[in-house]
Amino acid sequence: MTTKSLERFSFAERVSHWTSALCFLYAAFTGLALWSPRLFWLSGVFGGGETVRAWHPWGGLFFALALGVMFRRWVGQMQLDEDDEIWLAKSHLYAQHIEAGMPETGRFNGGQKMMFWLQSASAFFLLLSGLVIWFPEVAPRSARLIAILLHPICAAVSMGGIMVHFYMSTLAVPGSMGAMIGGKVTAGWAKSHHGKWFREVSGR
Amino acid sequence: MPATTVAKLVDTSLCIGCKACEVACQEWNDQEFTLGVFNNTYQTQPDLTPSFWNLIKFNEHVDDGVNSWLMAKYQCMHCADPGCLKACPAPGAIVQLPNGIVDFKQDNCIGCGYCITGCPFDVPRLSPTSKKVYKCSLCSDRVGAGMTPACIRTCPTNCLTFGSRTDLVQLAQIRTAELKEDGFKDAGVYDGPGVGGTNVMYVLKHASEPEKYGLPKDPRIPWTVSLWKGPLKWVANAAFLGTAVGAMLHYLKFGPKETHDDDEVA
Ligand code: HEM
Ligand code: SF4
Ligand code: SF4
Repeated sequence: MTTKSLERFSFAERVSHWTSALCFLYAAFTGLALWSPRLFWLSGVFGGGETVRAWHPWGGLFFALALGVMFRRWVGQMQLDEDDEIWLAKSHLYAQHIEAGMPETGRFNGGQKMMFWLQSASAFFLLLSGLVIWFPEVAPRSARLIAILLHPICAAVSMGGIMVHFYMSTLAVPGSMGAMIGGKVTAGWAKSHHGKWFREVSGR
Repeated sequence: MPATTVAKLVDTSLCIGCKACEVACQEWNDQEFTLGVFNNTYQTQPDLTPSFWNLIKFNEHVDDGVNSWLMAKYQCMHCADPGCLKACPAPGAIVQLPNGIVDFKQDNCIGCGYCITGCPFDVPRLSPTSKKVYKCSLCSDRVGAGMTPACIRTCPTNCLTFGSRTDLVQLAQIRTAELKEDGFKDAGVYDGPGVGGTNVMYVLKHASEPEKYGLPKDPRIPWTVSLWKGPLKWVANAAFLGTAVGAMLHYLKFGPKETHDDDEVA
């Protein structure tokens, strides 16, 4: 047995991550209830159509706030450096678990950074368009006509991204989920998946 | 036998602006009239409201130095291809009856307001108190019982006629021909071909300029609404499915990432 000796995510990071994740799931499933009349039955799970209409925007708003907190915390660490660009160009190798030729990664790899930017951008546009759809009697018609298209597009992009994110963090890279729940990883995990970061935090 | 499509014809050249239809609509639908905005016109109020579904617009018009009003009845058009229905996410909140009437069923409405954005004629109104949308039902309840809509029943000038759509299209053409004979060269019928035809039709003296009556020139379901409710659904559904299948195949082919030196203690 190895000990999880390195702190990967602080308590505050884990709280903001899971707050935004739960709000996201709530917003995503209540949103999907309105995505098509064929999915309207989903609204029953969340208290009925009127409840969904009333609460989805609040779920979305809290999601955006929690993401905003994460954004502020991580934006500095999410800037792409040269290694990340090489990493991204070779990401097909990463997907096949081929390690030769892949640059070592810091705390976050190029893919994770891209996920961060994708989710931040889509959350921003979800918020903008969501505010417009929230108040149809106030928002001008031209804005509503764009928003009803933009909101589900961004929702689809972010949900697609989250599906990948979910797969990576559960099945594809064992140990990641533990890092976000308990906050700690083993030295081996850190070395294998984020070599540069491992050297920084362990001093080896 | 399929139900005949019912329709309402508004011959704007015969409207005298008496507003009897407004009153009849309020009465039959048991609507309380709340004094709206007074902005120095003869028009009852500037716009439709959740409890005011039929408005005679007094459009001011100057022709050769002569002032006139282009009266136009403003209410739901009962489109053959209703943008409101296309946009609505709640099954049964908007129904299109076999006779062509488009009716809102408030019991099923969740108040999202999508229909307001989908409607090319800007008709549905969201009530801030009940959080439901309302609009003209073409007196669906009366029509179902074999009566004519309240506005039609009360109109003193034959400006409004109710009947089968086929009959009324003919009547509209006859009226147009008569107006042309009277010197209104631009007379014509307005029935929204862009939305598959509307079951509320107009005879206009200035048919090439419906905007003068406050009617949109070429009403169509907005393209963003069609894209949203059409191709976008399929593209996004395919993308979701693709992502899920892709993740599964990836796992089956490559499995999880391995962690090396797992026994090394830091
Ligand atoms: C950021 C703040 C957000 C606001 C203010 C917001 C607001 C809204 C509003 C007002 C609606 C119309 C119906 C309703 O009220 O329930 C809606 C629909 C929807 N929302 Fe959001 N939302 C937000 C975030 C999200 C998020 C994070 C997702 C999920 C990824 C999402 C997915 C959807 C979907 C799928 C729909 C239905 C779209 C359609 O009808 O095609 N929203 N949103
Ligand atoms: S006029 Fe508007 S509310 Fe009436 S049927 Fe057409 S789209 Fe629906
Ligand atoms: S407000 Fe009501 S009728 Fe209009 S689209 Fe939403 S659920 Fe349908």
